[in-house]
Amino acid sequence: MNKIKSRQLYLYFLAIAPVGKLVLMPTQLAVYAGNDLLFPAAANIVLQSAVIFFVMLLARRNKSLYALVEARLGSIAGKLVCTLFSLFFLYAALLPLLEQKLMVQSVFYDTLPSTIAFAPFFLLSAYLCAKPLSSLGRAWDVLAPLSIAGFSGIVLLSAGGADFGALKPVFGQGGWGFLRGSAYTMSWFFDSALALSFLGKVEYKAGMAWKSALCYLAGGAAVLLFLALFYGTFAEVSVRQLFAFTKTAKYFSGVAVLGRVDYLFIFALALVMAFYCALPMQASVDCVREAFAPKNRILHNVLAILVNAGLLLGLWLLNFDFLSTSTAIAKTLFWIFPVFTVLLPLILLAFGRDRVQVS
Amino acid sequence: MKYLTGNSAQDVAALKKLCPAQDVLTFPFAAEGGIAFVALYADAVTDKELLGSLVVRPLLHYTGEADAQEIGKRLAFPECKRERALNALAAELLSGNPVLLAEGVREGLVLGAKKVFVRAVAEPPTDVAIKGPREGFIEDVKVNTALVRKRFKTEELRIEMVEVGRRSKTSVALCYLAGTAKEEVAREVKARLSAIDIDALPDSSYLTHFLAERPRSLLKQVGTTEKPDIFCAKLAEGRVGILADGSPIALTVPYLIIEDFQSSEDYFVPSYRATFTRILRLVALIVAIYLPAFYIAAQLFKLQLLPIKLLLTIAGSIRGIPLSPSLEMLVVLVTLEILNEASIRMPKYVGMALSVVGALVLGETAVSAGFVSTPAIIIIAFSGIGLYAVPNLIEQTSVIRLAMLLVAGSVGTYGIILATAFLLFYLVTAESFSSPIAAPFSPLVRSDLKDAFFKYDLRSLDCRPRAIGSKNKRRLRHE
Amino acid sequence: MYKFRKFLRALPAKLFLLLALIILFSFFANDFALVDIQKTAIILAAGVDRTEGGFRVTAQIAVPKSGDRTAGGTSGVEIAGEGESVAACFAQIYSKTGWVPKLVFCNLLLLGEETGKEDVLPCLDYFLRNEYMPDSCLVAVCAGEAGEFLSSKSAIDDLSSGAAQSLFSDAAEKSGRVMKCSLKEFTVGYFGASGSSYTPFLRRIAAEGERNAGGGSGGSGGSGAPQGDSVYSAAETAIFQKGRMVAVLPPEETFAFALLKGRVFASAFDVEEAGETVSLSILKNSGKVAFTAKGAPQAELSVTLNVRLAGRDTPATVGEIARSIPSPAVLAAAEDLLQARLTALWERCKSAGCDLLHFARTLQRNAPKQYAQYGKQVLSLTRVSVKARVHAVK
Repeated sequence: MNKIKSRQLYLYFLAIAPVGKLVLMPTQLAVYAGNDLLFPAAANIVLQSAVIFFVMLLARRNKSLYALVEARLGSIAGKLVCTLFSLFFLYAALLPLLEQKLMVQSVFYDTLPSTIAFAPFFLLSAYLCAKPLSSLGRAWDVLAPLSIAGFSGIVLLSAGGADFGALKPVFGQGGWGFLRGSAYTMSWFFDSALALSFLGKVEYKAGMAWKSALCYLAGGAAVLLFLALFYGTFAEVSVRQLFAFTKTAKYFSGVAVLGRVDYLFIFALALVMAFYCALPMQASVDCVREAFAPKNRILHNVLAILVNAGLLLGLWLLNFDFLSTSTAIAKTLFWIFPVFTVLLPLILLAFGRDRVQVS
Repeated sequence: MKYLTGNSAQDVAALKKLCPAQDVLTFPFAAEGGIAFVALYADAVTDKELLGSLVVRPLLHYTGEADAQEIGKRLAFPECKRERALNALAAELLSGNPVLLAEGVREGLVLGAKKVFVRAVAEPPTDVAIKGPREGFIEDVKVNTALVRKRFKTEELRIEMVEVGRRSKTSVALCYLAGTAKEEVAREVKARLSAIDIDALPDSSYLTHFLAERPRSLLKQVGTTEKPDIFCAKLAEGRVGILADGSPIALTVPYLIIEDFQSSEDYFVPSYRATFTRILRLVALIVAIYLPAFYIAAQLFKLQLLPIKLLLTIAGSIRGIPLSPSLEMLVVLVTLEILNEASIRMPKYVGMALSVVGALVLGETAVSAGFVSTPAIIIIAFSGIGLYAVPNLIEQTSVIRLAMLLVAGSVGTYGIILATAFLLFYLVTAESFSSPIAAPFSPLVRSDLKDAFFKYDLRSLDCRPRAIGSKNKRRLRHE
Repeated sequence: MYKFRKFLRALPAKLFLLLALIILFSFFANDFALVDIQKTAIILAAGVDRTEGGFRVTAQIAVPKSGDRTAGGTSGVEIAGEGESVAACFAQIYSKTGWVPKLVFCNLLLLGEETGKEDVLPCLDYFLRNEYMPDSCLVAVCAGEAGEFLSSKSAIDDLSSGAAQSLFSDAAEKSGRVMKCSLKEFTVGYFGASGSSYTPFLRRIAAEGERNAGGGSGGSGGSGAPQGDSVYSAAETAIFQKGRMVAVLPPEETFAFALLKGRVFASAFDVEEAGETVSLSILKNSGKVAFTAKGAPQAELSVTLNVRLAGRDTPATVGEIARSIPSPAVLAAAEDLLQARLTALWERCKSAGCDLLHFARTLQRNAPKQYAQYGKQVLSLTRVSVKARVHAVK
């Protein structure tokens, strides 16, 4: 399979990465930042796009994360960094999986199904994990238009019922609300770390760094638009509205006549989300494979099965502890995310740039 | 390796030993000059009239030397070659070409007097177009290559013959336009065809299994057509075509899935109409695959997928039905597949009876008896019709429809989403001779989108599909 | 090692087979602890009444007509459940029918009149928390008991809820005769800075003879409920403050409220001018509540209409009919009438202590400091002026 094309990467940042922010993050933001929910989200988006810009500068070297670290610090350090990132990706995958599972139970069923109903997701995920990460590029080509269509449909159906006045008073929640909102939603912003896993698998083109950052910003702008719609629709009761993107469009007047036409768009986004949720797991498997046995397909497949079986078990064990788990990840241990998504990529960039100058 | 000895009695005996079949006959005759000849031929597959008029009659007055070349010149037969090896002579004999032996001559003459059984070139049952050519391929590879040659009066048309099948020795013609088709693809196809070691090749569809990169794949990886105009259009796009003797189905590679949504007629009608029909085919296919699945998922797991009034109508219809909604749908679907299978295999005379039994007895009576509900019949009927909007994909889509139904009945709507995700990834990673079969959508090839679901005006289609990787990119030059 | 490799090579096919078997098994077992359509009670409307010990929920359940091939006809049955909580009521309904009650199609939540007099949130709490309950469902208060209302026989529809819902159509809303409100809108209002919300107030009217069942606004309709087939009226609007129904707007004030919201596009109203009744049809409506907190809080309720003459009760010439342009005197009378209705609306809200026009919310959004200072008293502190402009379409 060829490398990920630059266009496919841009489409990912523009249309795939934003969908993961439409499920529980809007509610979480409404809880901590109230009507000022746009500012913390914008801060995280800008920060991520800046780091993505720097990470994609490294893509010029056409080396994987492991190869980059190994070239500078040796293979042990390379293996260590890759293992750390692999573990981080598994950790980062938890929250999207949990929210995906709850969303599936709520949106795809009329009565609460058994936990096993979400298990088939791991079949897909294991299949994706067993494939090289670079094969995803082609999927993004198809998923991006689907995502844009789904998102646009939901925005169009929701726009009429939103009262954007609910976003006032601007900065009414003060700095504390902004800080809490920013910090406690960082667990949804790990795109820069994922970008690290794309290194060496992307066909480098001049201007890729700024174009990637710009696409991420554009996708982020779409998220902000949705957040505004969300708060405009639900105002004070936003804190109660879980799985935000499935909720806003149902008040469209045509729904009463035609039935839930908004499901078309919701399903389109859910399809994209299935790929998005599997991505951290793919990145995790890929990091270990790169570092330890890049040519060993059997290990790759076994790892794919193990990772998915482990997460399925974890999800099953945490079945009734969603609130405490999400609080632990998003609130108590939120600092893990900036370490892996901002600090470590920037340190790597410093090493990478140094090496470029030497060579 | 054994060769002819020049002793015709001995040589005939040796050849009869290699071809012990009773339909291999000998016809001895002597020329005026005194040379004794023996013509060996396989009865029924040799054109005896041709043999008599163009071989035996001229040789009766032959007074020349006993030399194969001289005898051959005297015959003035267009297809005449000399051969010494007994095995080769036996093979020719069995393929219908008579062999002429002369006393004292150590070479035999192989005469191309094979009797050709051909039906007339007629309109094929598939790929039917209201406007456009009516010719279809037949079972004779020579006629088929002639139909292709008729459309390409250029030296660039290459027709390379490969023999496939240890026993059938079927002629397979590899056709491509030199300078347009990718040489690597032509080479690879030839290599794969030559590597086939199989007893017999009853039909070209056998070849698809050997040409496919993932032979067990659910997806089609080789294009098929029965019409020379479509075949030639594909060659002109830079594809490599394969014609097998004994099969009216021509194969083309690389295959792109969009091919099956394109019909030859799309190029004969205005582009807006072609666009409309292509989108219609896509919608029909999606509906055909997903409708039964979503219907089941709606009843079992997510009532809100249906508007309330429709739901209540359905609820009213299924009251008292002894089967669960999923089982009911499966029963109706399997019944449809049985009817479909039976209607294809059944003799035409009983076809009418089958329609009556299928439509009235199974459909109407089953509903009246409360065995299945009306909506289930409607859904499956609609799905069945929709599937045939893209007939070339029927083998794949009917399996996918069944899989979707099973997934919907067991996991529900989310199962359908996951199965779609799986299918999508499977599709976008599949390749046919290094061309991604989901192109031009994945990977996105912007210029090829002009002839995808939105078909541009013919004058805008100035380049060959880039996804196929033709060397010669431009097909239409503007003044 | 060779055997292991061979095993691994064959593994995908074996796994695929296993997966196919699992799917087949679950397909035929058909059970993820789920409830399919044949075991479901599709609730079309739910009525909630308070009782001494808790609540009584009446669910109107759709009963599909077996073998009925004609669309549209739906019969229903009303099943009531009583308990200390709404959830307990539903559990009782389940035990009575054996069908699992599903709220996914519940499009009307009806509250009894007495229920509305206390904070209604405990009644709505169950529905708000239920992820499967659509909060686009309409909320209404009815005269008398909700259970009785739902069980009444409609003269125009198979189901009482169907008849009631047809009153809340978009067309009805454009006429300005009804102010519909969804569960989401109700709760947004409830939890908002103003704490106010509204719902249509439904009354039953006897179909024959058009006898009024409940009398004037705010009167109990329970005792005077008509027997036999009924038609329903939603021309009145119940207004809530902090979840308590504090007043019922009569039809005239409901109309004024609709005009203020700018939702009226196809309606007509009568004006008395020089002893003559003139009907004006509304072609365009814009309404605005302009609130300012600069200095003392002030609000201006303004309504602008574009109208044409729809009819009069005295003979007219053909020319006049053809022009159908109301005279300046008629327009002035219309403005006076609308101003009076807007004033009455405001006075009723003020006296009931209901911030229906969202002064507090506007203050909070635009002047948070002032909101912190006097947000709670904004209703009493605000000086309100009303303005109505009626233009003739020329």
